[in-house]
Amino acid sequence: MPVAFDDGVVTGEGLIAGHRVLIAAQEGGFMGGAIGEVHGAKITGLIERAIETRPAAVILLLDSGGVRLQEANAGLLAMGEIHRVLLDARSTGLPILGAIGGRNGCYGGTSIIARCCDCLIASEEGRLSISGPEVIETVEGIEEFDAQDRALVWRTMGAKHRRLIDEIDVIVPDDMSAFRNAIIAQLNVSRPLSLETLEAEQSALRRRVERFRDAADARDIWRALGVDSPECVSEMEADDFNRLVEGLEGSGS
Amino acid sequence: MPPRDRVMNRVALRYQSRIKRGAALANGKVVDAKDATALLEAVIEPGDRVCIEGNNQKHADFLSAALAAASPGKLNELHIVQSNIALPTHLDIFESGIARKLDFCYSGPQGLRLFNLIGEGKVEVGAIHTYLELYSRYFVDLSPHVSLIAAEMADREGNIYTGPNTEDTPAIAEATAFKSGVLIAQVNRVVDRLPRVDVPADWVSFVVPAPKPHYIEPIFTRDPAAITEVQILMAMMVIRGIYEKYSIATLNHGIGFDTAAIELILPTFAEELGLRGKICRYMSVNPCPTLIPAIESGFVEGIHCAGSELGMERYVAERSDVFFIGRDGSMRSNRVFCQLAGHYSDLFIGSTLQIDLEGNSSTATLDRITGFGGAPNFGSDSRGRRHNSKGWLMAGEEGRRDERAIPRGRKLVVQMVETFREGLTPTFVERLDAWSLMSTFKSPIPPVMIYGDDVTHIVTEEGIANLLLCRTLEEREQAIRSVAGYTAVGLGRDRRLVEQFRRRGVLVYPEDLGIDKRMATRDLLAARSIKDLVRWSGGLYDPPARFRNW
Repeated sequence: MPVAFDDGVVTGEGLIAGHRVLIAAQEGGFMGGAIGEVHGAKITGLIERAIETRPAAVILLLDSGGVRLQEANAGLLAMGEIHRVLLDARSTGLPILGAIGGRNGCYGGTSIIARCCDCLIASEEGRLSISGPEVIETVEGIEEFDAQDRALVWRTMGAKHRRLIDEIDVIVPDDMSAFRNAIIAQLNVSRPLSLETLEAEQSALRRRVERFRDAADARDIWRALGVDSPECVSEMEADDFNRLVEGLEGSGS
Repeated sequence: MPPRDRVMNRVALRYQSRIKRGAALANGKVVDAKDATALLEAVIEPGDRVCIEGNNQKHADFLSAALAAASPGKLNELHIVQSNIALPTHLDIFESGIARKLDFCYSGPQGLRLFNLIGEGKVEVGAIHTYLELYSRYFVDLSPHVSLIAAEMADREGNIYTGPNTEDTPAIAEATAFKSGVLIAQVNRVVDRLPRVDVPADWVSFVVPAPKPHYIEPIFTRDPAAITEVQILMAMMVIRGIYEKYSIATLNHGIGFDTAAIELILPTFAEELGLRGKICRYMSVNPCPTLIPAIESGFVEGIHCAGSELGMERYVAERSDVFFIGRDGSMRSNRVFCQLAGHYSDLFIGSTLQIDLEGNSSTATLDRITGFGGAPNFGSDSRGRRHNSKGWLMAGEEGRRDERAIPRGRKLVVQMVETFREGLTPTFVERLDAWSLMSTFKSPIPPVMIYGDDVTHIVTEEGIANLLLCRTLEEREQAIRSVAGYTAVGLGRDRRLVEQFRRRGVLVYPEDLGIDKRMATRDLLAARSIKDLVRWSGGLYDPPARFRNW
């Protein structure tokens, strides 16, 4: 089993555009960015510290397949602790920003962390999903989901699809400065975490399931959302895609 | 005087009777897919030498399956002579007894099963060849009696269009058709008029339209997103320490991530060094997508290809100044000519799995027999070369031991490896696994991919070892140890010699080349993702779904 001094995540404090932030960056090259006991404790500790020291935001650079299964319950507990402290922080109005742009995407328990953030920023290379492509293929069969068909994987789990169905907030080009600018724009911006917002989210999810129940492919959903040529979406550059999304949101669909 | 009634055209007579038996199943030259097995049973005779076209990428998969479905009672003891053993059906015929003897070059994914079948005595291997060696033997003692080839289209007369993946077809077709062999082509479609003719109809005996397009594999696509900073550092060293130093204008690249890293920093790192127009001008290599930025920025001016690459068809077709293009507008590849072209270029660079203390390298490891492919011919000194170039002369001069020796040039053969492979397996070893394979394999010599005396440079993340400047075998061993890092081989280096080697240029560290290691980041890559490659190509490159991440 490989070991690393930092257990696959770097945490720290610094300035971004003059604002103090706390930040955690997962190293996807180390065990696929999987979260184990120490890795998780570092993120939990970082957010606990932020609750006390009140930075402009906590920034989580996520690149992770989820929990480190070989650490069994210790890994799962670590994951649960991050979820709990993240919601604690949010309930005090501290913004937590997630960014997804790595090769591993954001899966399993880490995808739950991501969806608990105030704001999610991703490049189109980013992916966000509970189960990974190989897991779905193994469980449901290759006819249901061919994990080798990367175009299928990306249009089902990729950042553009997640943006179109409102699970990711900002899409940026695959570029460091684009991510940085998007993060700066979200500093000190927090979303209320209240019973009303949770209930609104729940009913939105219920409506979504009903509306898209019969969609066999992400493109069917995009078409239903009002995208004229869904087959072009995957090829679009970030700027064109964002204009498309603005147009759809403007038209209220 | 031999007796006058001696028959000297037996093969041609046999050809006539084979064709007669086959023609009973054909409409003109075209045979229905459902009759493919019957056709093979009709024209092939027990003990025949048979070639089932199997290249790196393109495979006569339908005909291979049709042969596997034949009755071992009718067809047996066949001698298979083909470059690649890649499909399960290639080995099924050995399992069932249809085939017995095998002469081949490369077995890639079937390496493990082949190893087991040899152990069970089901496969009797003639030899593992290099590509040029096997194609050459087609014209000596291994001409096929029957060859099964794969092509894009045929017309009703039997003219064949291979499309960009011509690969091994010309060599097989020529050796078969002109030695009274039966040439059977599986085609994706039969059409009235072909875009171009790659094999003329009178060489072709039968055409079988296959129910599914022939199998083709994109094996030369490397995703820039997977290139590491260590590979980028090594690429910087190669460009400064070898390409620039020897003015390498003509070369062959291996197909790994290491050489992809070189290709991707030509438009950035090498451009800043003012090397455009001086290095990497002509290449013998498949149309690797990672070459796109170097082509677009004017580095690479000409490329001849052994085969094509899925997704690159339109891009290549629109770059006829660079690639070899047919009148129909699509590329024509040819593995034999590409191998020859690469053999006579200034430099070969590639990777390997193991290197020993003499610099011998091998990709054969204990439990599988993969073979060699193209590296041995590309990666050997071209002793038949006479034309000169700066790098060829410099290398010859560096390697010249004795003032009285006659001056000659030599090819640069570079092995580019990290000191440890995946799973922390050391690349440098005291003894190659090839030695153990030799005995399991009952071969008189170990299967070596590139011989140490052909290797001129070894590049690792530690630095460059220039083996040309080593005066003795002991020095060569120490030079190899001095770039072998923390492997057991590397830890055996002699510190005092390391200093002496650096003064003599036998050992070159990045700092000796003015390379700042901190500069070796992914920011140096002209393209950092497959999508960047699509952008560089102006949308002409159309990557297969499996390489997309958008």
